[in-house]
Amino acid sequence: MLLLFSDGGFTLKEYIIRRVLISIPILIGTSFLIFYLFALLPGDYVDSNPSLTPQRAAELREFYGFNEPVIKRYFNWIAGIFHGDLGFSFQYQQPVTKVINQFIWNSFIVSIISLVITWIIALITGVYSAMKQYSIFDSFVTFFVFAAMSIPSFFIGLLLIKIFAIDMNLLPVGGMIDVGSNTTGLAHYVEIGRHMILPVFILVLLGTGSLTRYVRTSMLEVVRQDYIRTARAKGLKESKIIFKHALKNALLPCITLLAFELPALFSGAIIIEQVFNWPGIGQVQLESLNNRDYPVLMTFTMFLSFLTILGNLFADVAYAAVDPRIRLK
Amino acid sequence: MRKKFTKLIIPFAAASLLLAACGEQATNNSNNTSSGQSSKVASIKDESLKAASPDSVPAKALNRKDTFIATLSTNPGGAFLPNFYKTGYDGNVSSPIFDGLVDINEKGEYTPKLAEKWEISKDGKTYTFHIRKNAKFSDGKPVTSEDVGFTLSILHDPSYAGDTDISRAHIIGGEDYKKGKAKTIKGIEIVDDQTITIKTDSVDVQALSILGGPVLSKAYYGKGYHFGNLDYLKDLYQKPMGAGPYKFDKYIPNQEVRYVANENYWNGAPKIKHFIYKIANENGLQYFQAGDVDFAGFTANADNLEQLKSVGFANIDIYTGTPISFISINNKKEYMKDAKVRQALNYGLNRQQIIDTVYQGYGEVANIPIAPVSWAYNDEGVRKFNYDPKKAKELLDEAGWKVGKNGIREKDGKKLELVYLSAKSDDGLIPIAKENYKEIGINLKPEFSDFNALVSKVDKGNYDLASFSTPMIMDPNDVVADYHSKNADKNNGYKNPALDKLIEEGQNTLDQEKRKEIYHELYKEFADNPPIILLNYRKILNGVSSRIDGVKQDPYNGILSSLTEVDITK
Repeated sequence: MLLLFSDGGFTLKEYIIRRVLISIPILIGTSFLIFYLFALLPGDYVDSNPSLTPQRAAELREFYGFNEPVIKRYFNWIAGIFHGDLGFSFQYQQPVTKVINQFIWNSFIVSIISLVITWIIALITGVYSAMKQYSIFDSFVTFFVFAAMSIPSFFIGLLLIKIFAIDMNLLPVGGMIDVGSNTTGLAHYVEIGRHMILPVFILVLLGTGSLTRYVRTSMLEVVRQDYIRTARAKGLKESKIIFKHALKNALLPCITLLAFELPALFSGAIIIEQVFNWPGIGQVQLESLNNRDYPVLMTFTMFLSFLTILGNLFADVAYAAVDPRIRLK
Repeated sequence: MRKKFTKLIIPFAAASLLLAACGEQATNNSNNTSSGQSSKVASIKDESLKAASPDSVPAKALNRKDTFIATLSTNPGGAFLPNFYKTGYDGNVSSPIFDGLVDINEKGEYTPKLAEKWEISKDGKTYTFHIRKNAKFSDGKPVTSEDVGFTLSILHDPSYAGDTDISRAHIIGGEDYKKGKAKTIKGIEIVDDQTITIKTDSVDVQALSILGGPVLSKAYYGKGYHFGNLDYLKDLYQKPMGAGPYKFDKYIPNQEVRYVANENYWNGAPKIKHFIYKIANENGLQYFQAGDVDFAGFTANADNLEQLKSVGFANIDIYTGTPISFISINNKKEYMKDAKVRQALNYGLNRQQIIDTVYQGYGEVANIPIAPVSWAYNDEGVRKFNYDPKKAKELLDEAGWKVGKNGIREKDGKKLELVYLSAKSDDGLIPIAKENYKEIGINLKPEFSDFNALVSKVDKGNYDLASFSTPMIMDPNDVVADYHSKNADKNNGYKNPALDKLIEEGQNTLDQEKRKEIYHELYKEFADNPPIILLNYRKILNGVSSRIDGVKQDPYNGILSSLTEVDITK
């Protein structure tokens, strides 16, 4: 994308404006593609209920407009969006925005907390094992990382529930609050926190592995660069070399990774949500696909596409901001 | 097939936890018994097992002094209004809040509820309901015939987008009202506050279940109603109010639904003040073990029973449910027109082995399209398709299908290859059916898709065989009506004038004794000229904490019929 416009230098502002403008046709194209693909799925919402009489099923198809051509349905949907109407969920019998709003934040809090913890751990262990390449610590981290990535999350999830919730009775089985709980204020947050321990633990376990490897590889590449050797030759303190010169450059590729985390923050972790019965958006999205609840499915998928494009935009802008070479090219 | 249960729509307020029981817990643990091991499980009896150590109830549960908690196995949608909700689980959530005029008992017979009695005229077309004098909504207002009339009127509204097909009630003047030609529905006559007469234009056994369904308060739900606009009701979907044993308290999306005892309940307030449905999804057993819930339902199989037995404080119930698993045969295909071919498909399939494998024996071979729990069950003298490959081969020979190259039968140059659609990627039926059918010279080709796609393929006729399961069966007509010739195009293309006649007779006769005989005849014809392959009736497996007393369960109501009687003993 950058190359198209790289015939001259831009200021950062111009650059951002151009990138935003490019995003608009991408979004429109995506919306049509998604709508069309979903329309291609055999079956519609009315098929979800096998006990409908054939007459009633026909009436409902008419009512929902399922008999109209795809292109007409697409423009109806787009027109709705421009009127601020994202649709009404068939399954939930509520406005789509309300359905999504009800569940997305439950997913978000788990994701954001796991994300922060994952990055902290990955940065520390990644840098440390790069510095001590092939040391016992490094081997241990490598072993642990691959082990953690290889264990299926649902298995370890169920195992942890068995140990901590049923046998030891320390943590809750699942959900977000205790059944029938009426806590408010601080006690309420503590309660949610207790319910988050296991899901967050597993998400961190899964996420830390690959990220640690990224940081480690990136660091290893940077410390072999000439300027690091120069810095060492200058007699700079090792800690200054690592954190001021090496880490800064090593983190550049991580910007891309972080940008991709943006949609992930809101998309919900489907498997973990199922294992821990967490009332998140992941389950809702899966159900809407199974039931052909198009309004929910379309809106949420579009929202994720939007976040992905936004994340990319952030990444590009962030690169441009931190790495002058990109813009000046 | 599992999916089908999650999508049930329940005709009655009284329907039930049962769904929770046989629904979503269907996990993937069904394929791991070898047939050698499971062949010992001949036929599992319905039984109740007492808790091994009733005093081992977790402290968490013992601390709950005035709350009874049951699992709901799948997320509800959030429209808690009878006739308006779109998922069966919303029906489960609504059930304790709304009572109907008529109830259904453990044999599937209609019994009085909000109506203390009702009369049906001699010609079978006029219904008169007498509402109990002490029937009240939870806001204290009496349930009147106005409310019943209102409930039926809005189902005729042109903007009604729910799943109930009100035309099945055949109320006189209903069509005119729907089309805006009449201001009121002619057939609904309010005699006095407690008496309502409803005139219909045909004798149909389906009418009573619709007319006697959950009653909505006109004062509450009728505020703001204008003909042709039911949108205002959407604001009340999550504020349900009815005349059932419990009042709605709070819904925490995809987590739990809370109820409080209705002090105004006509049959006396429930003994336990609070009731909660905990949405457990796959975690039912864990919640039960940890004491978070007092009642949980599971897929009936040996693994789940074993695990439940290991929970010392669990009183366990196993009983037969009403749903039937079956394979639909596409009668629209030329080669399926011959009844002998369809009979051969039935004889050639070892259904007991399928039950032993898929449900580890926790099922029962189905020979007639009604479960043994129903009043209509009678399989005497009905052709039973016990596994008989020899007979199947003979029938195919007679039908002109000769064994060709590779052992696959051929007729007029066409090979007997059948596409079998399944919505379960781990459908345990496939390996058995493939082998069974290979033996009689049929090549079975399985195809997978999700449930809605399967339905769509079936609608278009792109299949030979397709795996299905019925929802809960209230009336014997519910299963067989689909095989009437008039539904042939929309269903599997089956046409049989002899069966049509019996279906109509069964549907247009209200006397149960007479219907019993009609259905007995019908089941004989159904087996001789089978439209489908009946597979099995399923078992229901439930665990109740030993601290809870008075839970009664039946296939039609789950635990709901005993909800007012349930009590905490520890």
